[in-house]
Amino acid sequence: MNENEQKNFAEQLKQSLKPMNRELDRDLWPRMLCRLDAGARDRQWLAVLFSPSALSSVPWFDWALLAVLVAGVCVFPKSIPIWLYHF
Amino acid sequence: MNTHPYLRAYMAGSAAPTMMLVVVLSGFLIARYSFQVPIPIERAIIFPMALIPNLFGLWNMFYLWLRPRPHLPIGFHGAILPFVIAPLGFLLATCLGFLATTSSGLVWFHEIVIPYAVLAGVFSLALIAYYLVWKYLVGFFNQVLGIA
Repeated sequence: MNENEQKNFAEQLKQSLKPMNRELDRDLWPRMLCRLDAGARDRQWLAVLFSPSALSSVPWFDWALLAVLVAGVCVFPKSIPIWLYHF
Repeated sequence: MNTHPYLRAYMAGSAAPTMMLVVVLSGFLIARYSFQVPIPIERAIIFPMALIPNLFGLWNMFYLWLRPRPHLPIGFHGAILPFVIAPLGFLLATCLGFLATTSSGLVWFHEIVIPYAVLAGVFSLALIAYYLVWKYLVGFFNQVLGIA
């Protein structure tokens, strides 16, 4: 194969290949969510409930309310049986 | 296919207090046998064992029924429940003889005196507890059972 034929062959090869698409033609995020969800399904419900991601999504005022609740019970421990009765 | 959403709502609602029942019973036993608080366990356990889980289940069914209509978030919906539960609990406790009202406050189990001012604080804390339990526990169970 001489140089001319090589150039011709390279040209034909280039034309036969489709131009590469630099952009993805689909959104990968839904598939990622599915994979994450599948991982969550395999875990125990208690592990999901108290997972770091679940705990980090709790807003600060709910933590503050929990602190108020614990402080209230500590300040008045006599109320514990009444709590138990009403739960 | 009928997926029985109200049955699932009932189960999701009653799951949290049913789990708490072990804690409640342990607490009553410790109070009675370790701290000598004369709690009549066989009578006092009726309310947390029989009524509370059913009320939670029914309240969650009510929440599901409200879903297509204007409704509060689940935490606030749950925080309304003490306004139903507290009077029922007081009524039952009075009828069963372990709650008495005096001028200084409420006397629980013939020993624990709760002044009326403190009672207001305890009730406020109950609202907070119910808000948190409904928002996080019942909300989670609703999500697990596919009715969130």
